[in-house]
Amino acid sequence: MCALAHKLEERGFSTVAIASVRVQAEKTRPPRALWTSAMLGRPVGEPGDPVFQLRIIRAALALLQRTDGPVILEDFPDDPPGWPDNRDWVAPTTTSAGDFAGELTALLPQWQAAQVRFGRTSVGLSFQTPDTWPAFAEAVLAGGLPKVPQLDTTALAVRFLCDDIKALYGEVAQAAGSAPSARQVDTWFWRQTAAGALLQALRRTAMVSENNALKTVGGRFFVPTPWVV
Amino acid sequence: MARPEDIPQPTRDAVLNLPCPAFETTPFVSGPPLSERRIAILTSAALIKRGDQPFPFGSGEVRFLPADIAPNDLLLSHVSINFDRAGWQRDINVVFPIDRLRDLVATGEIGGVADTHYTVMGSTDPAAMEAAVDQIAGQLKQERIDSVLLTPV
Repeated sequence: MCALAHKLEERGFSTVAIASVRVQAEKTRPPRALWTSAMLGRPVGEPGDPVFQLRIIRAALALLQRTDGPVILEDFPDDPPGWPDNRDWVAPTTTSAGDFAGELTALLPQWQAAQVRFGRTSVGLSFQTPDTWPAFAEAVLAGGLPKVPQLDTTALAVRFLCDDIKALYGEVAQAAGSAPSARQVDTWFWRQTAAGALLQALRRTAMVSENNALKTVGGRFFVPTPWVV
Repeated sequence: MARPEDIPQPTRDAVLNLPCPAFETTPFVSGPPLSERRIAILTSAALIKRGDQPFPFGSGEVRFLPADIAPNDLLLSHVSINFDRAGWQRDINVVFPIDRLRDLVATGEIGGVADTHYTVMGSTDPAAMEAAVDQIAGQLKQERIDSVLLTPV
């Protein structure tokens, strides 16, 4: 983003970048940047905390008024409040050991509750609905190369299926009560759900596939490296 | 998390050692008081409108996001799986702070919010984005936008 700030400023626009990785801003030296300790993926702070988000946005926009640049690189002084685990959070119950289809079906009411709570869903990249996910995944595990019409390759279809599964479970984990930490959501998904085990299996299947695209995409984009087993 | 010690490996090494372009000079454009500025968002989260194709890996394109797009019509298609998405799942503003800009318009702290916002694939080499930046600049001029807030993921 810092490089694009340069390019926009060259074209006559004032810019301010929020920087998640300070060393990158130090190297690229954009005209104005605010570094925050916000988690990667949450550059503007904590979800559902407009007060803290506004503090970050105000601090960033204030740099537009400064005249002592370039380069202005400021540090936001406070950590967002959502880092620690939430001891009050209760993980969704998953009783269908090893049975992804059964687990998914059991969680659907909580997914619906999450959609009501947040007014939206982040599920949708795969162009498939949840009722089709188990059969599609099974076909891949069986060595098939199923496709969906909207995506060019099986590799992309599985990649975005994995994204949608993670998104649905992430929303289920946050459907009720106070918010879990990101680490709690990840730990539950990857260590306690049939869905997490399914994605690990899809990764292993992809990595021995003779389909090079599936092998490449599966190795890098189904399971985050810290959670690979 | 953007303290290095908070970033799990191998993402830590990847982000800390990411080649970054060097610029010989740094332009610095001034503008009117903040209360008169109209602001657009440029996010590298590779957001798409529901039903559109996800950003391809390495894409240098930009996509325009109308300010009034419904939150349920926004999906995040960034290629990396090594950053948190639970925050995005709860609240689009952690990535695309459109409601926060509206808050600042309501209090008179900024002059306005653009009708159009912008999104790119953050992992792409910026050298491949010259045409995209020209497209953004053209739309900014058309809407008389003077300032851009850039948000990463």
